[in-house]
Amino acid sequence: MAELEVRVVSERREGLLVELGRVVTEYGHVLIRQRLVQEAHGACLTLVLRGPDERQLALEEALGTHPRVLSFESLRPQLVETPAPQAVATPFEGRAAPAPRVAPASIPRPTAPPDSAPIAAGADVGRVERMLPSLAKDYPRIFPWLINLDYAVAAEARDASLYLAGRRTGAWVYKRDFALGAKLGLIDAIRRIALPALRVLVTVEHHDNQLHVRGCPLCQPGGASGGRFFCGFIEGLLAESVDARTVFVRETSCHSHGASMCVFDISH
Amino acid sequence: MQDMHQHYNGVLVGLSYAVSVLGSFTALQFALGIPLAQNAKQRWGAILAAGAAMGGGAIWAMHFIAMLACNMGTQVTYDVLLTTISAVLAVVACSLGLAIVGSGAFRFINLLFAGVLMGLGVAGMHYLGMAAMLSSAQVSYDGGIVALSVGIAIVASMAALWLAFNLRGKLQMLGSALVMGVAVCGMHYTGMSAMEVSQGDTVPAGFEQGLQGQHLGLAIFVVVVLLLAVALGLSIVRQQRRAALSI
Repeated sequence: MAELEVRVVSERREGLLVELGRVVTEYGHVLIRQRLVQEAHGACLTLVLRGPDERQLALEEALGTHPRVLSFESLRPQLVETPAPQAVATPFEGRAAPAPRVAPASIPRPTAPPDSAPIAAGADVGRVERMLPSLAKDYPRIFPWLINLDYAVAAEARDASLYLAGRRTGAWVYKRDFALGAKLGLIDAIRRIALPALRVLVTVEHHDNQLHVRGCPLCQPGGASGGRFFCGFIEGLLAESVDARTVFVRETSCHSHGASMCVFDISH
Repeated sequence: MQDMHQHYNGVLVGLSYAVSVLGSFTALQFALGIPLAQNAKQRWGAILAAGAAMGGGAIWAMHFIAMLACNMGTQVTYDVLLTTISAVLAVVACSLGLAIVGSGAFRFINLLFAGVLMGLGVAGMHYLGMAAMLSSAQVSYDGGIVALSVGIAIVASMAALWLAFNLRGKLQMLGSALVMGVAVCGMHYTGMSAMEVSQGDTVPAGFEQGLQGQHLGLAIFVVVVLLLAVALGLSIVRQQRRAALSI
């Protein structure tokens, strides 16, 4: 068990502690003390947390990408090698959503709920952050950037990094192109939001709660699966558009493992 | 009493539909911002702006362009107070309807309430606007067709709201504005066909002080210019926001 101090800035203070507290609990941490002050640039919340070492990175990632969080810094007082504040991403804008998790790389993916999925490592947030503006500039021709990211990050951070990039891109596309309108049921949201957004990137078909992607450029046969990008992308697209607290996307078969197409199963 | 017949100017009829579509388009741009509002002030601002564009532009301005298009063979003026109340009624009914449908998750029951409110707002504005008409003609209505006109307004309003809040992409606002235009014009012209006009002997009190065609034309011109300016302004602001959105 290690202590972790995080400092977040949010636009509004109302409900901030409750919402972030849920994330903290979800990642097996407890709140030791907190301080919430209103500053010129927003509500500044400092949290001192304690929890299992192996989930700290994932917790940081979840807090750093939480939709209420404008900026995020993390200090680990007990880790000598990381004394300086660790600046993490400006998060995507969106509703409370499941924190990025890393599923095992092997396909088929586990059918257990994501809460029970083992957390391998956190994303290489800095590298993803540096890539995102270029990705936005070149959108929808984003695959060269993603393949580049795939090779650039450490193997253990690969899935989480692709997921984070997907999540941020999906949330950005949602806000840019699909934010106007009412919240939809899951099937309608898949048909009217996820499907047209994915069509810009890949060849995709919609079957009930699944999206089938043909010839995914990130999932070449014999290589590693890039499906985590699409899991994040679809979750980012749907998180704010669906009348449900959370949306989960799992890749149930992958072209890189010999399947004819990548299949993404969407649930809430 | 001698029956009188209505004759329409086709260009003005077309213009009335165009104005109802423009008003609906502007209103729906505001209305779609209701679910995105982050505080009560933003929310009520969006609701009132949407209601004003829908009630004042799509319904009221359309109605009086259509009335200018209609030649009943007798001179007509409009009671200022009733005409004003008809506009307020349309704005209030549409604001309430859009507030209901724009709040929380999209549910059929909300759509039903909102569609009924907006349909009644369209119909209420029309028949109050007709009651404001001052002329020597004697007016009566066919109850069945009046009911049909109200039904058209309600059903088409529901269809337009469903399109606006459920679709995404190009069809979302344009499609729903075109359907809302059908709701408003369909109601109006069906309502007009329910009207039976016969020649009377005397003009009612207040006829001379009533609003005349040229005054209405000026008011409608102002409303339409405002709608155009707001629609254009909103489009530009939204484009700028989209461009500035960081990933």
